[in-house]
Amino acid sequence: MTRSRRTRVAVASALALPLALAACGGSSGGGTQPTAGGSSAAGGATTTLRVLDYYNNDPGKTVWQKALEGCAAQAGAKISREAVPGASLIPKVLQQASSRTLPDLLMLDNPDLQQIAATGALIPLDQFGITGDGFAKGVVDASTYKGKLYGLQPSTNTIALIYNKDILDKAGVKPPTTWDELKATAKQLTKGGTYGFAVSAPANYEGTWQFLPFMWTNGGDEKDINTPQVAQAVQLWVDLMKDGSLSKSALNWTQADVNDQFKAGKAAMMINGPWQFPVLDAAKGLNYGVAQIPAPKAGEKVVAPLGGETWTVPQTKDKDKQALAAKVVQCLNSDESQLNLAKQNDTIPTKTALLASFSSTNPHIKAFADQIPTARARTGELGADWPKAATKIYTAFQAALTGQTSAADAVKQAQNG
Amino acid sequence: MADRPPLSGTTHAIPQPAGSTRTRPPAGAPGSPPAGDQGEGRRAGRRSLRRRERLAAAAFLLPAAAYMVLFFGYPVVKNFLMSFQKYSTSTFYTGEAPWVGLGNYRSVVHSSVFSKAMLNTALFTVGSIVGQFVIGLSLALFFRRRFPLSGVLRSLLLLPWLIPLIVSGAVWRWILDKDNGALNRFLAGVHLAPGHPGWLVTTSLALVAVILVNIWLGIPFNATILYGGLQDIPEELYEAASLDGATGWKAFRYVTWPLLRPVVSVVLVLGVVYTIKVLDIILGLTNGGPAHATETIATQSYHLSFQQFDFGQGAALGNILIAISLLFSVVYLRANRRAVDE
Amino acid sequence: MTTTLLTAPAATVRRRRRTQRSWGSTALAVLFLAVMLFPVYWMVNVSLQRSGSAVATPWFPEHVSFHGYSTALHQQGRNLVTSLLVASGSVVFSLLLAAPAAYALAHFRVRFSNVFLFAILLSQMIPGIVVANALYTAYNDLGLLNSVPGLILADSTAGIPFAILIIRAFMGGIPRSVIEAARVDGAGHLRAFVSIVLPMSRNALITAALFTFLFAWADFLFALTLTTTESVRPVTLGLYSYIGTYVNDWSSVMATAVLASVPAIVLLVIAQKYVAAGTTGGAVK
Repeated sequence: MTRSRRTRVAVASALALPLALAACGGSSGGGTQPTAGGSSAAGGATTTLRVLDYYNNDPGKTVWQKALEGCAAQAGAKISREAVPGASLIPKVLQQASSRTLPDLLMLDNPDLQQIAATGALIPLDQFGITGDGFAKGVVDASTYKGKLYGLQPSTNTIALIYNKDILDKAGVKPPTTWDELKATAKQLTKGGTYGFAVSAPANYEGTWQFLPFMWTNGGDEKDINTPQVAQAVQLWVDLMKDGSLSKSALNWTQADVNDQFKAGKAAMMINGPWQFPVLDAAKGLNYGVAQIPAPKAGEKVVAPLGGETWTVPQTKDKDKQALAAKVVQCLNSDESQLNLAKQNDTIPTKTALLASFSSTNPHIKAFADQIPTARARTGELGADWPKAATKIYTAFQAALTGQTSAADAVKQAQNG
Repeated sequence: MADRPPLSGTTHAIPQPAGSTRTRPPAGAPGSPPAGDQGEGRRAGRRSLRRRERLAAAAFLLPAAAYMVLFFGYPVVKNFLMSFQKYSTSTFYTGEAPWVGLGNYRSVVHSSVFSKAMLNTALFTVGSIVGQFVIGLSLALFFRRRFPLSGVLRSLLLLPWLIPLIVSGAVWRWILDKDNGALNRFLAGVHLAPGHPGWLVTTSLALVAVILVNIWLGIPFNATILYGGLQDIPEELYEAASLDGATGWKAFRYVTWPLLRPVVSVVLVLGVVYTIKVLDIILGLTNGGPAHATETIATQSYHLSFQQFDFGQGAALGNILIAISLLFSVVYLRANRRAVDE
Repeated sequence: MTTTLLTAPAATVRRRRRTQRSWGSTALAVLFLAVMLFPVYWMVNVSLQRSGSAVATPWFPEHVSFHGYSTALHQQGRNLVTSLLVASGSVVFSLLLAAPAAYALAHFRVRFSNVFLFAILLSQMIPGIVVANALYTAYNDLGLLNSVPGLILADSTAGIPFAILIIRAFMGGIPRSVIEAARVDGAGHLRAFVSIVLPMSRNALITAALFTFLFAWADFLFALTLTTTESVRPVTLGLYSYIGTYVNDWSSVMATAVLASVPAIVLLVIAQKYVAAGTTGGAVK
């Protein structure tokens, strides 16, 4: 989860995570299905596919509803969809896995895929002749577990530097491209009630997600964060905060909070994603631009993290429905559907051939799209062990940002647990 | 107990609340007459009476007992077993959870955050309970005097409870925000803290802020229950006491406090039991951060289970929490019993 | 214990006390409440702003806007009704089970009562998530998911143990002699309970009811675990889904929260009146 979705309202996520721990006995059989499954394909009636995802709010909710209905119709099926709040998706999936009530079509946040695939609850897509050919490498990596493709992601997103054009123009500066420029520019733009720079750096995966482009671009790696490269990236954030260019509140901000700050003119630049566009566009008198995330040195290639959701076909009893669901996945990933979804959701298509023409349609999306070919999946390297590494990463930068330890000690302590 | 004169009996007759293993004097358990007035009855009659009493008691208790077994028994046993197993996401699908004995307990106790989380849990619980109880009791005493609008104002006191925690959490985050929060704007306005303290983002302040919010949440509960307890203290006792010259503090010390004691026990025991497992408000305000400054056993257990999907370790930590809760209750109730008896 | 002692002079003294500390106390209480309820005010304030945002909300809603409320009413009206049904149901169910149990624990000498009390205390130590997890599977098998009765049963996990403890603590104060007197008059246990004990425990019952209501009203965990559709959805969960991903319209969220508190406030005020009446009436207790 890329967007703040998972961590957005921590209160909720606190409570939001119930699990059917009880049903772990295994084969509790078919059980009663919470949602009417519709008649199976054997009968003459149209088959209904059960769908589970977390787009439970408009505009995304409706966009996906239409896309799903359209693709299901093509495959000759109907859908019965349950859209749950983001934080409760995985718990729901685990509940359903243990009570054998998994849906026919399941959307997962991409870093969760490998963990769910590892349980055996998903069907490899090669069984349906689906491949990841033509997709950005990072996207395929995220949906691959033990060499097999388990999901396909019609659109993706990432983060970049969004800046307030008016503030930068007035100060006569350009968006920074290197870390040094970032520090200088941020400092220069910090005055009155406005901070030069804003980023969300809380003690959770959302914070890790924001930190990754700095860490990765500098050559840091999640396998071992006790390296100078990671420490330097931590130091960059520490410097920004020490300078006063980044508010201490960043330690507790969500991405939406950061966006609020930016929208209100309290931050001149921020790290955020394209899903904020509708809000920014609606803000009166706000003139913003998008640039790539500054790299340590001029000309270095930015390595950004890949966001977005992947569509999977869970193990269910009904082979016919599985085949139909696979068709829907394929249809959602057609060129036309990718472009359509990306446009309506302010995201980016995942087929590399579509990137150039797509980014030309929207200047704001260009900086994001440009980062996609080199972008990395969070689970690309560690797979199901990613959560542990992600925890170490936020533990490290939090320790350094609060001034408890130096950046070097912070990464060392975090790595050693 | 029932043989005692009503007045002196009140102290003891109002039974101990929560789990008081000691409501009845131990000596009274088997063989003592069911009720004082009936004590003179013949032996046989007494026995059949006792059986009837027991049957009646069972009938009164049965529905609640059945409910408790169904809705608590099973989950607890399951959770207990789980703490000895290796759980992962796969377990949910395959049902395989290998037995690891005390392995989960060892891991969580040896983790680097454990001691910090223990300390925070203790500080959070003690801080919250002291604050809630003192303010709650003061309010209860205050509202005992009837004054215009007191009823309405007293009901308004419960308002914080009606706001969904999701919302009050968000509101408190805004209020406590370092740069634009209402609190800092106010403090700067009256020149009290022009430096804009970072309530939720400074390691030295975050726990304090979280405790303050939790006190805010707990005041209605404490005030209302204690107020209810005060209502049951007969006015005449104060009059009698005032004839003996006990007014003000003395009246509180010798009349109010002893008579309120059972209710105080409920409030304190439940308060601690509830506070020690508080999760939502901490996650909502700081998510355990910054840099573990507000991490407690409860939040740590949650993070293990629901972020790292290590449900075995999460359950182990949860059980440690239950054990602490239990230990406190037993020690408190025992000590309190002794105090009451003296 | 007090019935016999309550005499006329007491009532007059009380009345005198009442008039003395009049408006001074009121002012003090208002002041305290102003501080205590500031977050509530802030919520109302934001709900009336045109576009509520976390950043630099004005102290007062300068340009009052009700768009948050119209959105909220439109989208959450049904959820409010669900919440009311569930919370009221939970009160009735909890008291139905808890009051007899509390009576038995307070006034019978039964050997297992200590065990029972201990079990209740233990139950309060169990994190809600543990219970919710187990219930999901059971509910799935029993077809109780997405149903108001299912939620009532689940929400009572907070109400029943709490109500037993509270009611029992209060009921212990009813002198045994009063109950015995009724029994001597030929009343059975049930009749003594219904006609003597319950009326005398009115304060305790109302207090327990109040908190049971609040527990159920505030429940989010069970709502989230045990419902999967929008047909049965308490307002807490409604709000949560509402906050969702891209919250930037805090006005509507806060307006929903305000609306969500209104029915509960009304009930509270009524309940508090009864508590007050019960104690000043003098007949009881």
